[in-house]
Amino acid sequence: MKLQESQEIREARDIREGAEPRRQAAARSVLPTLALWILALLFAFPVLWFVLSAFKPGSELFSTPLSILPEHWTVQGFVDAWNRIDFSRYFGNTLVVATLSTALTVVASAGTGYALAKYPARWLKVFFVCVLATTMLPTEVILTPSFTVIRNLGLYNTLTGVIVPSIMTATGIFMFRQFFLTVPDELLEAARIDGAGEARIFLTIMMPLARPIAITLAIFSFQWRWNDYIWPLIVLGDPKQFTLQVALRGLVGAENIDWPTLLAASVISIVPLLVMFLVFQRYVMSADLDAGLKD
Amino acid sequence: MAGASAMVLLLSSCAFAENTGVAGGDPNKLTFWLSGDTAQGGGFAKMAAEYTKETGVEVEVVDIPYDDLVTKMRNAAMAGELPALARVPGIDPIWSGALMDLGGVAKDHHIKKDLLAANEKGVVNALPTDLTAVGLFVNKSLFKKAHVDYPRDSGGWTWDQFVAAVKKVQKRTDAKYGMVMDASSHRLRSFMYQFGGNGFREGKDGEFKGDADSVKALKRFKELNDGSFSPKSVWLSNDDPNAMFKSGRVVAYYSGVWQIADFAKNIKNFDWDSALMPHQPVRTTNLGTNYLVGFDGPAAKKSERFVNWLYSKKNYRKLCETSGFLPVEDGVQVRYAARQRDFDLYNRIIDEAGPLGPAQIKDSLRQAYAGHVTEGDPLHDETVKYLGGSQSLDATVGAIEKQLNEQLGDG
Repeated sequence: MKLQESQEIREARDIREGAEPRRQAAARSVLPTLALWILALLFAFPVLWFVLSAFKPGSELFSTPLSILPEHWTVQGFVDAWNRIDFSRYFGNTLVVATLSTALTVVASAGTGYALAKYPARWLKVFFVCVLATTMLPTEVILTPSFTVIRNLGLYNTLTGVIVPSIMTATGIFMFRQFFLTVPDELLEAARIDGAGEARIFLTIMMPLARPIAITLAIFSFQWRWNDYIWPLIVLGDPKQFTLQVALRGLVGAENIDWPTLLAASVISIVPLLVMFLVFQRYVMSADLDAGLKD
Repeated sequence: MAGASAMVLLLSSCAFAENTGVAGGDPNKLTFWLSGDTAQGGGFAKMAAEYTKETGVEVEVVDIPYDDLVTKMRNAAMAGELPALARVPGIDPIWSGALMDLGGVAKDHHIKKDLLAANEKGVVNALPTDLTAVGLFVNKSLFKKAHVDYPRDSGGWTWDQFVAAVKKVQKRTDAKYGMVMDASSHRLRSFMYQFGGNGFREGKDGEFKGDADSVKALKRFKELNDGSFSPKSVWLSNDDPNAMFKSGRVVAYYSGVWQIADFAKNIKNFDWDSALMPHQPVRTTNLGTNYLVGFDGPAAKKSERFVNWLYSKKNYRKLCETSGFLPVEDGVQVRYAARQRDFDLYNRIIDEAGPLGPAQIKDSLRQAYAGHVTEGDPLHDETVKYLGGSQSLDATVGAIEKQLNEQLGDG
């Protein structure tokens, strides 16, 4: 009898413990899920409006009441944009600039960050402070001196002139330095004892460890360079060398803006970045996750 | 910050004046920098292609974003990479020393004398390419609905009558605002002229001073920006007046001729029209222009030949027709693709504008030749503070005068 009772109790407890938490968990997740959906929609809304507006004729863009869906769908804006802007050339230029400067930025930042973290020399610490100090100066302030240097090097009006000054970034160096500080020195010493050279330690031990940082920086850097505007504008004089952002900006006139064309051209210009995101989605997501972690 | 970099550039301009020059490059190619050509129908590009076909000399037209044309030209001047030709909104002391003489072209092609100014050596370096004028657009549908008339081809109205008429329209229709005006000192000056003021011009004694009528106009302007007749957001937070007018819920738009092409294409939900601007009592407008300049260098002779060709009556007319420009040459009859009546009205307004019409153009050219540039735009910036209520009328007038005298005065 007692045994039976206890079995019933146990069964009841099992049911309680099994089902209840599941229900509780579901109830608890409804609110955050809902909140996240609302948040996601809030983020998506302007983008959606922007994309849909590109399909509206100019006469509908500002008419009241505003409507989300175009009343008369049109691709005229896209046709005009395509005819007016040589997209393939500007995509090509932008891609060259963004890819090369990103690759070089990652290599340079990794090397510098590693040296600053792992080689104990007093002058390196001073050097690090100097590097950090460069973040205090906005690009616009050093525009003229940088430009003078580029001109004297004979890089005016070349894509190299756009790429070279953007390779070194304090942010990138800082990211790598902070990461390498967390790598235990014992690892380094063990490798040295095993007879590995400095270059080998850096390339085969440290770099693989720093992969998440490298990917994070690469993604950021690519976005920065893709969206760069003022520096390419100053350095490039020949329209054949223009990057996409410079070409797009030309659609904004002195007193008027050709909205239908500008909207369509902007939509076209984000397509490659979108494709890139879809291809590298896994890395982008994990890069953003890693960016928030200390190790 | 822009001010700071302008200062740096100015300080170093003397050093750079020696270096400025055009790019070596291909001697058979003229590079021509300008802004907004594609947006304005591509007139210059079309003329350049025709020139190449006729003469074999290639003219490469480079369309540069308007907001950054000044920065780009300055940096190019420093690099010694100035183009052969450029169409610019104003002359910059940084490169004005490298300009070529275009006085001969101006004389040969009857360019309006009011628009030309010579530098201290008596040389004309800059030719106006096209004219713009401040004007008034009305929402014809709203006026019709409210059974209110507006003067178009004849008659006229004072600002008091205009405001009364617009308020009547506002009351009888669902219009949200009576009038929007571009947040620009150029438009504000025109408004001041119409009240009999001179818009803070330099007096004979070399002092910039706000005369009584300009001050009165400024006070009136604040009264109009009350949030119901005119929205405060346009001047205070850069709301887009063009978009507001296009929404169909604004009765009148104080802007300029450059809107015609855009409105013709992009307004379909109501009828719009150009109307005569109010006067109280002065009937005038404020003109605007861009300048064609050429730079000294190995290509100078070739550049001059192209400019001469471009300003010949036949070719210049073609340029105006393609780009929808108001002509700067006397005696050029332009047939526009659309809205000819509106353009005719503007040409009439310009002819009747009197000496104040081109005053700002000439003043700014003279100031640029003298090496003076303003940091920011004192008239606009201080007016915004006044409209926002953070500054009294007296303080505003004082601040505008002080800044103009400091930056542009001879002292």
